[in-house]
Amino acid sequence: MSNAPISVHLDDQIVRVPPGTTVLDAARAAGIRIPTVCYHDHLTANAVCRLCVVEWVGSRTLVPACVAKVQPNARIYTNSERVRTARRVILEMLASAVDLSEAPELQALLAEYGAHPRRFGPDAVRREHGAVKVDNPFYVRDYDKCILCWRCVQVCAEDVQYTFALGFNGRGFDTSIATFFDRPMPETTCVFCGNCVGACPTGALKGKREYEAAPVGTPPTHGASNVVPAVVRSAPGR
Amino acid sequence: MGCLPVTTSSSVSAPTSRLTLSPRQATAVRAVLRRYRGKGSAYLLPCLHDIQAITGWLDADLAAQVAESLHIPAVQVHNVLEFYALFYDHPVGRTIVRVCDDLACYLAGSEAVVRACAAHLGLDPEHGGTTADGEFTLEIHPCLGRCEQAPFLMINEEAHGFVRPEQVPALLGGAP
Amino acid sequence: MSYQPVLTARVGKINPTSLSDYEATGGFQALARAVELGPQAVVEMLREAYLLGRGGAAFPAGIKWKAVREAPPPKYVVANADESEPGTFKDRILMESDPFALVEALIIAAFAVGAERGYIYIRGEYPLAIARVQHAVNACYNVGYLGRDILGSGLHCDLEVRKGAGAYICGEETALFESIEGKRGFPRLKPPFPTEYGLFGRPTVINNVETLLCVPPLILRGPDWFKSIGPEKSPGPKLYCLSGRVRHPGLVEAPMGTTLRTLIYDYGGGVTGSGELGGVLLGGAAGFFVGPEHLDVPLDFDGLRRIDAVLGSGVVMVFDTSVDMKVVLRRIARFFRHESCGKCYPCQLGTQRQYEIVARLAMDRLRPGDLDALREIGQTMRDASICGLGQTASGAILSALDRLGYDEMTGRFARFNGR
Repeated sequence: MSNAPISVHLDDQIVRVPPGTTVLDAARAAGIRIPTVCYHDHLTANAVCRLCVVEWVGSRTLVPACVAKVQPNARIYTNSERVRTARRVILEMLASAVDLSEAPELQALLAEYGAHPRRFGPDAVRREHGAVKVDNPFYVRDYDKCILCWRCVQVCAEDVQYTFALGFNGRGFDTSIATFFDRPMPETTCVFCGNCVGACPTGALKGKREYEAAPVGTPPTHGASNVVPAVVRSAPGR
Repeated sequence: MGCLPVTTSSSVSAPTSRLTLSPRQATAVRAVLRRYRGKGSAYLLPCLHDIQAITGWLDADLAAQVAESLHIPAVQVHNVLEFYALFYDHPVGRTIVRVCDDLACYLAGSEAVVRACAAHLGLDPEHGGTTADGEFTLEIHPCLGRCEQAPFLMINEEAHGFVRPEQVPALLGGAP
Repeated sequence: MSYQPVLTARVGKINPTSLSDYEATGGFQALARAVELGPQAVVEMLREAYLLGRGGAAFPAGIKWKAVREAPPPKYVVANADESEPGTFKDRILMESDPFALVEALIIAAFAVGAERGYIYIRGEYPLAIARVQHAVNACYNVGYLGRDILGSGLHCDLEVRKGAGAYICGEETALFESIEGKRGFPRLKPPFPTEYGLFGRPTVINNVETLLCVPPLILRGPDWFKSIGPEKSPGPKLYCLSGRVRHPGLVEAPMGTTLRTLIYDYGGGVTGSGELGGVLLGGAAGFFVGPEHLDVPLDFDGLRRIDAVLGSGVVMVFDTSVDMKVVLRRIARFFRHESCGKCYPCQLGTQRQYEIVARLAMDRLRPGDLDALREIGQTMRDASICGLGQTASGAILSALDRLGYDEMTGRFARFNGR
């Protein structure tokens, strides 16, 4: 396969990028912003949040920009009405189910897309998990704020640490992040590396000191960045 | 963030049920675990099916033994137990009654069959559940693929089509 | 109705646990013929016959086989027998009544594409089908139809029966691979497609049971015979799962393109309940409702696409005018809420919100804006979900509102006196 740049139509621009470039990276190169939530530059892209979907002419469905690779002469609209509706409805549904009070990036997106999470009514079922889990000296887990972006599970597994302390409970709407049989962190394989805390975008995971020190309403100091601290790609093994 | 703490706080440990096995069951479980030793992730579902056929469900200890035997992370066993409707990480009845209440069975009167089962077992017709003596679990099930025999129910692996509500007590037999 | 059944020819007529019964009724002649013809010719036959997948997606089987045949080993063949679409029971009947046919078809697939290992993934709620197919596999090993050097052809093939564990999503081909690999049934992102990156990351042919069962007769009788049945653009025999309010529910084998009228009134003996047809659900919970005005539309992939419906897995579920459609829709919404895997946001969140709104609809407690929200959720799931489950989770509900005379002012389905 040739490595000569290929041309794609992104909105009203023609962008030339190397083959194999994702739509997201092509858009970035062209100065077009596509919103992302679950995507992280240093982690496997699973395209679960679907906020980055774009309209690719000829495709039956919208296409996730974080994983879709550009094709020669593709015609892609990153901000069409259809795209904006999907993004808005996803944001509305997410905000109606999860506490996003410590996720400023998501709050900004809700405003930008004119999302009305309350349209589903006051009795729309929320994902609530009871008290914040404080079971170790290093970090706390507040799953009411969890958006299931999978980043913590990935850094705990093959993406970084190969520790396999984190997994899932339930399925569908009732999915939640869990440990083996919901055991407290010290009774799991967790090595308290902190990668999951660094990867969490919403404050569901945060340092214990920060949790204890912050008075209610303090703007968050975590999660706004897209950077995992101290990421070391360790060799596979137990 | 540091090393493992020396002491663990157990205050948040959720009380979980423990499985008690008869000597015969324990021997059978050990044989299954031996058979799957080192076989890896692709044998997780077969292994869980074989163990559940002996024990009915898995507690944390048994799930951890499965992980150890297959050489896979324990949390993967947890993930799978939690995902699939036919795997149980909590106690269930010796007899599991699955009543189909999906479209075709509804059209043939499954609601009355569900009510008859729930009434006979003394369980909630909305959600089913397990009888206090641990004998029966009632599940209101999505389509069981027997639409031509609607309404349909299964008692463990035994199939019963064209069920009428008045047949339910006889079908469930030794129930309370 | 002079059509002679092919796929169900042995159903009820042979002992499904007897290999000699199977062989006495033409069993394993197709494998012998395939070995004579060679793999390339077998793949060409599928392409020439234009055999479309019978599991729901209607993808040409020959294209899959050709792609995997040209891919480097190791590769796999998989029978998708995780039949879980509400209203579907055809594969179960085939496996319970003619299990050797599935085994033979999968051996032919393995031979044609150059795979030495295959899996038959059967839904866990089908214990009899599992037992029968497992018995057939064992019997085939005993006489040398499976294992090393099959029929002295130099072909090696191992087959393993896998039991599902209660997850509708595992009928989605990539979720099924994940399940065989011992993981949660999360569908993968496509591309890459299974022909390139399938089971264990290797090129894989995965076909529905009915699709596979079309293969032995196709090899014995040739593509021209296959194309002589049904319409040109979706040829061959088809199994229709007739259920609901008809006098004789059951499995019907008929040419592709048979009309609803023929199925309901000739094969099904007419509508029960009020006796008056209110609507039909085609393709199951993942399909669409159509009204009685479509009684004469041919039921094939092409004909139904033209009226914005799908053949899907061949579900024909009949609703008479006395049915309470709102309760039906609530069940469909409940089904998807229960079966969403939870991987992508649109479906994980949308199936819950959809259920809440449809539950209000069923209780006549809709609020202003609910129906707009329902439509937008549906559009978002259809447009932005990862897999077919989310993409189809709103189709039946919205099609019922649009096509069965739902009146937003009165909150009633005009045609249905059941509400």
